[in-house]
Amino acid sequence: MVNLTVDNKQVTVPKDATIYDAAKSAGIKIPILCHDKKLHPFGGCRMCLVEVEQMKGRLIPACTTPVTEGMIVRTSNDEIVKARKLVLELLLLKHPIDCPVCDAAGDCDLQNLTYEYKVNCNQFVDEKFNHEIDYVNPIIERDMNRCILCGKCARICDEIVSYGAYSVINRGLEAKIGTEFDGPLNCEFCGSCVSVCPVGALISRPFKFQARWWALSKTKTVCSYCGTGCQLTLGCKDNKVLTTVYDEDQGFHNGQLCHRGRFAYQFVNSDKRLTTPLIRKNGKLVESSWDEALALVTERLTQAKAAPASLAALSTAHLTNEELFLFEKLFRGTLGTDNIDHSAGFAHAALTEGLKASFGTVASPSEILDIQKSNLLLVIKTDAYETHPVIGFEINLGVKRKGVDLRIVSDKRGKLGKLPGAQTTVHTPGSELLLLNALAKVIIDAGLADAAAPGLSELKAALAEVSLEKAAAATGVSADEIAKLAKDYAAAEKALILLPIGLGYPGHNAALAEACANLAILTGKYGKEGTGLLVMGEKNNSQGAADLGIHPKASGLNGSAIIDACISGQVKTLFVAGENPVVSYPNRAKVEKALEAVDFLVVADLFLTETAQLADVVLPAVSFAEKSGTFTSVGRKLQQVKQAVKPVGLAKSDFEILNTLNAALGGQKYLNQSELFAEIAANVPAYAGLSQAALGDEGKLLPVAPSAKLVPVAAQAAAPVAGKLALVTGSALYHSGTMSRFGEGPMLVCPNAYAELSAADAKVLKIEDGDAITVKSDTGSVSVTAKVGYRLPQGVVFAPYHFGEGSINAVTDGKAVTWVTVGK
Amino acid sequence: MSNAPAAEELQTEEEIDLTEANEVIDKYLTLPGNLMPVLQGIQEAYGYVPKPAIALVAERLNAYPAQIYGVLTFYAQFHLKPRGRFIIRVCVGTACHVQGAERITETFFDRLKIGHAETTADLRYTFEKVACLGACGMAPLAMVNDDTFGKMTVQKVDEIINTYNARPMK
Repeated sequence: MVNLTVDNKQVTVPKDATIYDAAKSAGIKIPILCHDKKLHPFGGCRMCLVEVEQMKGRLIPACTTPVTEGMIVRTSNDEIVKARKLVLELLLLKHPIDCPVCDAAGDCDLQNLTYEYKVNCNQFVDEKFNHEIDYVNPIIERDMNRCILCGKCARICDEIVSYGAYSVINRGLEAKIGTEFDGPLNCEFCGSCVSVCPVGALISRPFKFQARWWALSKTKTVCSYCGTGCQLTLGCKDNKVLTTVYDEDQGFHNGQLCHRGRFAYQFVNSDKRLTTPLIRKNGKLVESSWDEALALVTERLTQAKAAPASLAALSTAHLTNEELFLFEKLFRGTLGTDNIDHSAGFAHAALTEGLKASFGTVASPSEILDIQKSNLLLVIKTDAYETHPVIGFEINLGVKRKGVDLRIVSDKRGKLGKLPGAQTTVHTPGSELLLLNALAKVIIDAGLADAAAPGLSELKAALAEVSLEKAAAATGVSADEIAKLAKDYAAAEKALILLPIGLGYPGHNAALAEACANLAILTGKYGKEGTGLLVMGEKNNSQGAADLGIHPKASGLNGSAIIDACISGQVKTLFVAGENPVVSYPNRAKVEKALEAVDFLVVADLFLTETAQLADVVLPAVSFAEKSGTFTSVGRKLQQVKQAVKPVGLAKSDFEILNTLNAALGGQKYLNQSELFAEIAANVPAYAGLSQAALGDEGKLLPVAPSAKLVPVAAQAAAPVAGKLALVTGSALYHSGTMSRFGEGPMLVCPNAYAELSAADAKVLKIEDGDAITVKSDTGSVSVTAKVGYRLPQGVVFAPYHFGEGSINAVTDGKAVTWVTVGK
Repeated sequence: MSNAPAAEELQTEEEIDLTEANEVIDKYLTLPGNLMPVLQGIQEAYGYVPKPAIALVAERLNAYPAQIYGVLTFYAQFHLKPRGRFIIRVCVGTACHVQGAERITETFFDRLKIGHAETTADLRYTFEKVACLGACGMAPLAMVNDDTFGKMTVQKVDEIINTYNARPMK
């Protein structure tokens, strides 16, 4: 620690702190334009000039100067103020000063500092810039005339996002922030650059001219897309969510968001929202009152109560913990059925079955913060970046700043593989388990396994037949590469495995989590900082749904079995809360047949989804912005969701809907969702002793007590079918689940269903990028747009699953690999 | 996948044999800080840095195309457009200026129908005004590639053009 004096205050800070950090820790504000706590110090703008007693004669930039013992710093005097004024005058010389029409007004560092330093005239005169404004891309408007060249956009895109869309181009007075060949921006559109831009040079097009910054009411809450659990601030006006507001102090991610977090909030106030209950009368869904709809649902559920096996309920993991708990109470408790599930029964099995078997708990033994603390990251599926982009940022930072050794095991290449030193092991589709078993075998054979690992003898026996050569032949990965990966993993002091799961990955099941857990348990790499296995649930509350038991516990049917039971006639009444099986569960035709077959289908959702269109009663539910409660994210972080706007139309939260039904059917009536949280805290061990109020803005990390056990995993390669391509499904970067289709951003950049082909296959099939193609399997066929790229090996097709039209589940059947033919 | 036109569509795709560019990259692949020598080598091979070569460098050195473009536009030594076989440099520094350099440049513009930093359509000449060539005693001064021409006159401009028009392009 270093002691210094800042403005006559004694400050003690770590020795790697800068003068700026020291001042900040003492509550002294030094003005900055180019500095950002997430980025490497830059020292470009010279706003933070201060005086240091020991370095008199010139002013010192506070943001790049490290502290030294006994330093005496003055952050403001006449000379400093004069210097800062000069900086502002020079910046304003070329700046258009078009604040009245600038979206950044009110939130503009240049404007605020100009005001603070009373720069009301300029001693210089010069022409303004005349740069062309980039209106080409639909998301980010780039007006380089307003730019002050702080370079934060280029640095964040490089250092954290690792996309590198921007660079300072040209030189001297001509210098500006540009893209490759100074063309229009075409990137991931995460908007990180917009969030850090200190002026209005980069603004969000969806929010342009929507509201003045100071007119927004700001609510801190948690994103409702993927499981990362990013905290975000919603900017609302007139009961509408108009934007997301950047707050660099929010969450582990320092306010960083991905494309859908930042630009896909419009689903909340979409004009497609359901505003009133609907009841099917004479074959048509017609508007009704809540009383009528709920009376009908109550009546049918009362009948079903007599035969609980004929009743089933599916929920989405988008609901709050409180709602999921009530969902479970209503169906398992009050109505007595065990046929409850979320995500088809396979998408979360890695948690509820895999981790349960391997670690004796349904939660990952690691947390997101372990990523940067690890020495070696083993990412199963490069899709970790697509499904959880902000966790992807953590991986980027770990690799680039902390020197984490990144290994990827995947059926395709991806962005993560481009990180410095990253090695991608590309295996044949569907052979993950074989590969992971082979890794375990190498570890055991090389004597690297912990002899005390529970279940070692069983695992040894099960792997006795595994040969490295056979595994190499089946996975398409050389025996040397497998052996090296296994030994490097075992040799790393701290190694962490990341496993993304979700509806897009039918092959990401319990066995995969167990096979990953085996590696961690074999080498004792769990239960310590920077080690273990992080199973990345797809939805914002996948972890909560697993914790609260939204899956069959005894002899009940899981999601896939419920679909089958609807067809067989066993399930006659089906309640669906927010789930959209028609688009997201495998085999669309079968799901549609099932939902048409049930006698009574109730769907509670925000939209008249493909599933809701088949319902007998549709109940309008509300989004995360219209309710309060808690979500549990990947890595067990319990965080508070806060209501930002009033419900749309007559829509009610799932809490209200389920509470009314539960009371009407003889269950307990709750006063509010907080009361339910108290009951969760009293009943679910991981949540013991917690209260909503105690969560604060930061949230709480839930405890986990893993009791490890090696679980032998049977592995078989997906046998190739001659003349067919291997279709693997997953997530597109811009989308999450099926809800992002109702957000503006994702639909502007990625509006249509597509299938990605390797350049080699495209050439053979004479398919070009953008062609309309048909993908056909034994299950069905679907028309999508072709995307030709270089990241897929020959023989592999990739398709994301989010889209209603051209939904890839028309051809998939729930296996890890679907064999398809592709043609124009 | 986005609505914005892909970068490739915006460029008029040049048909370039990238063999030499690949050789240059091979040569420096393991050298730390290899971007500058690679770009310089490519410019030496092609006379300028062609767009497809930038994409290739980005891919093989795992660098961002935008950053490479930033480097290329920062240094005056790099050229993004094909350059002439003969680079004519006319000094417009102080000594040459007072000795009438302006008339020399105007004459070149008139004869070649190009301006400063431009290249003739047949790729024979590129013309550049430069600030000083360091031989003020010979003002006004012109250079064609490595050949120097002192005490320039309007008549000499035509002589130079005739001389280099007769030279082969390769």
